[in-house]
Amino acid sequence: MNASTQYRRLAGWMRSLLRRSRQERDMALELRLHLQAYADDLVAAGATRAEAERRARLEFGSLDAAQERCREARGVGWVEAGWQDARFGARMLRKNPGYAAVAALTLALGIAACTCIFTLVQSVLLRRVPFRAAARIVVVWDASVGRGLSRIGPSGLDYLDWRAQSHSFDDLFLFEHGTGTITGGGEPEQVAGLRVTSNFNDFLGVYPILGRGFGPAEARSEHHVALLAYRYWRQRYGGDRHVIGRAMELNSVVYTIIGVLPPSINTVFNIQVVVPFDDAWARRADGNLGVLGRLKPAVTVRQATDEMNVVMQRIAQARPERRGYGAVLVPLDDVRVESIRPALWILMGAVAFLLLLACANVANLMLGRAATRSREFAMRRALGATPARLVRQCLVESGLLALLAGAGGWLLAAGAVGLLITRLPASIPVPNGADRVPMPAIHMGGVALAFTGTISLVAVLVGLAPALASGKLALNETLKSGGHEGFAGAGAGRARGRFVILECALAFVLLIGAGQMFVGIHRIMRAGVGFPTDHLVTVRVKLANDTPNSPYMQSARQAAAFAAFLRKVRAAPGVQSAGLTEIIPLSQDEIDRFTFVVQEAPPLAPGATNPADFRGISPGFLRTLGVPLVSGRDFTEADDAQHAKVVLIDAALARHYFAGQNPIGRHIQIGGPSGAPRQVVGVVGSIRDMGFGQDPVPTVYFPFRQIPMQSMGLVVRTRLPASAVVPALRDAIQAVDPDQSVFSARTMDDIVAGTIAAQRLLLLLLDAFALLALALTIAGIYSVTAYAVSQRTQEIGVRMALGARGANVLRLVLGEGMGLAVRGAAIGVVAAILVLRLSAHLIFGLAAPGALLLAAGVALLAVVAAVSSYVPARRAMRLDPLAALRRD
Amino acid sequence: MELLQGTLDMLILKAVSLGPLHGYGVLQRIEQISGGQLQVPQGSLYPALYRLERQGWIASTWGESAAKRPAKFYRLTPAGRRQLKAEEREWNAMAGVIAGIMRATPGEV
Repeated sequence: MNASTQYRRLAGWMRSLLRRSRQERDMALELRLHLQAYADDLVAAGATRAEAERRARLEFGSLDAAQERCREARGVGWVEAGWQDARFGARMLRKNPGYAAVAALTLALGIAACTCIFTLVQSVLLRRVPFRAAARIVVVWDASVGRGLSRIGPSGLDYLDWRAQSHSFDDLFLFEHGTGTITGGGEPEQVAGLRVTSNFNDFLGVYPILGRGFGPAEARSEHHVALLAYRYWRQRYGGDRHVIGRAMELNSVVYTIIGVLPPSINTVFNIQVVVPFDDAWARRADGNLGVLGRLKPAVTVRQATDEMNVVMQRIAQARPERRGYGAVLVPLDDVRVESIRPALWILMGAVAFLLLLACANVANLMLGRAATRSREFAMRRALGATPARLVRQCLVESGLLALLAGAGGWLLAAGAVGLLITRLPASIPVPNGADRVPMPAIHMGGVALAFTGTISLVAVLVGLAPALASGKLALNETLKSGGHEGFAGAGAGRARGRFVILECALAFVLLIGAGQMFVGIHRIMRAGVGFPTDHLVTVRVKLANDTPNSPYMQSARQAAAFAAFLRKVRAAPGVQSAGLTEIIPLSQDEIDRFTFVVQEAPPLAPGATNPADFRGISPGFLRTLGVPLVSGRDFTEADDAQHAKVVLIDAALARHYFAGQNPIGRHIQIGGPSGAPRQVVGVVGSIRDMGFGQDPVPTVYFPFRQIPMQSMGLVVRTRLPASAVVPALRDAIQAVDPDQSVFSARTMDDIVAGTIAAQRLLLLLLDAFALLALALTIAGIYSVTAYAVSQRTQEIGVRMALGARGANVLRLVLGEGMGLAVRGAAIGVVAAILVLRLSAHLIFGLAAPGALLLAAGVALLAVVAAVSSYVPARRAMRLDPLAALRRD
Repeated sequence: MELLQGTLDMLILKAVSLGPLHGYGVLQRIEQISGGQLQVPQGSLYPALYRLERQGWIASTWGESAAKRPAKFYRLTPAGRRQLKAEEREWNAMAGVIAGIMRATPGEV
């Protein structure tokens, strides 16, 4: 047979599957026409019409038989057989709806949990950033061990030196995150922007969908041109295609819009506008910039890091301020999801446990079902069904179950993902990077569907395997043994018991994991962050001082402006107290970490440094937060540029650098011995600025009037909701300067919640999984004890006839269920300790479980076992001994 | 005369090789060529036609019969032509052998 006939056959089958009814109609018509033609001939030969038709029918023989043989000849035999199996299977499932529902629901729940988490993992971890050769893009940071900084945004000079001296990269790209005020058209609007080197479009492979990108001209000299991000273009300009060439006023400078970027830019950069650096500007730009590099194809991150460290040593010779610096390279894909990845892997592990549990439950159900159906199978064997045919029947039934469970699981997962999306943080912090990236979009697509289909099938087959392997289908002793005790005797009972033990162990690990996460989170939350975070509203204010005609060019004017804002804000309705800070606590908006020396202390050993966080604050800021004054005094309005330079230090710094001495009256010099001495006037409580559970970083506070800043955060304590207070704050500030924008309004509670978003997500899902696991375990224990009771009816009858009382029987059955649970818990204790110890380092808050938690887990499982075997036990208690003995 | 076992397929192929025919036409053609000596069992004809079509040896299209009725016409495919040749060869060889056997006399054995 050649390929074309093979193909034709295949095509015929396919057609026969798709167009079965049409073929049936064709066949019936053809046969009818045949009879008609024959009858016509008979009429022509002289017979009457009625006579002719009768004879034609008669001579043809059985029409039905001919049709059946035609169908067989047409080659749809196996399709029909499969269809038959499927219909029979569906009938069997319908006949036993309890079994079908429990099995399908069990699996659907497991599958839904798996699909849900897989969707997260796939959307967040497995999808690359949509940039050119994304696999080779790395983020490059400076690092300074001495200053306690693992990731420092490089300066423009660093970038230019790296580009000139390193050989590991195809290309390097410099960018700076910034904010700007759009004016000239109603309410001033604060936008997030990116200033980039002119290789921006080529480097990322992100080209404008409208207009042009940046070119060499933008690198040579300063051009006031701007690209808009897609979302911003839609939102502010309504997607107007004539926006190209229009002017926009950004920080009082007129920019010309030259292009619109595709949505992909917002997958990594949370910005609305992109403007270019020229080379001269890049040379001037100081630290805290971002650099991305694309590694040459054969270069590894390790090799590039080594080379960059050598380059940094060479750079330090020309620029002493870089002495002691190295470079850190991390793939962009990793950076993007660094803070959420461990949580997702833990969840993936948890759902694997859950799915395994669901499989065990289904295996358990199927073993039970195989046992109860043993008589049916034995009968069919006796009537001539081959074992293969019976196995096929089982497979088809399981396939139906998989379909049901998969479809249900998919729907459940779709609902769960929809819910989950609302719980996910909108952006993910970059650890130690003082930056955030947008949360990747969560999307349930074809890959997730394929995943669901695969695990549905695998789960059902795994569930079916023990039933097949136990040989229940092929045996024919069943009929002999009355089809009752027979197969299902001790062997199957033991197998089912083992599955329940497995279920208990798996559920136990999930329970302990969820419990430990709960304990861990509550422990760190109880420890707090150093101040009460409720009823605090924060906004940020940035003075537009980088424009030539800005009134804020002099630093004294900056300080005066903020002082004026603060005065107005304090008088605003609903404001109980207010303060200004350079960086809002826990926000990780920026990093200001530097080194200092204590004037009165002996000089530091060469190479040693004292790193600390520095914060410019207003008087009343710490009081507004509720940070206690430990000793000395707070800042006052008098601590300005005209008065003595003073600082406050926090308890962590006092403990660390003034151990056992009174720091009040000592002097701190920022940067080193050449820095101006600033007298310590007070010690205040520490803030866990890095988030819950993180050790406080030694911190120095200085009065904002003594080192004025361009951008500050305003923190307000209020009884009003944020939505009511923020407009009042804006009004107060714009009463001073109508062009001043206010942005990034957040409550402190939201900021704090953001720092443990991953942990809270983990807790929420682990709780849900643990509950599910418990429910499945209850179903498992119930089904096994109920089955045991039904199998041991006679035995129980004998016991009762011999004088056993209800309580004895109750104890017997409860003991059975609880025995399984306790054995499962014993395995679970070992597994939980192992699993948690292995995964504790993955995420902060998880730790090896304590004895109390383990004991509580065992107790819970025992109670669950007692409850789930109680119903069958009651049934056993109420057995009529005589009826039980008479059975069979 | 009863049809010899296993020859129906070959006869159908032969019949449609002379020109497209509908099912009833195949029956008539075979009886006509055999001079009315061969009776094809009507119930067996259609399963055979379906089987041959599935093998790809004949193909069918709906058309109109001489009696102006719709009818399904079968025609030989190139693969069917090859098959017919092969079956003819085999049949002739077999017929020769069998004829030889049947001619045998006691002296020859």
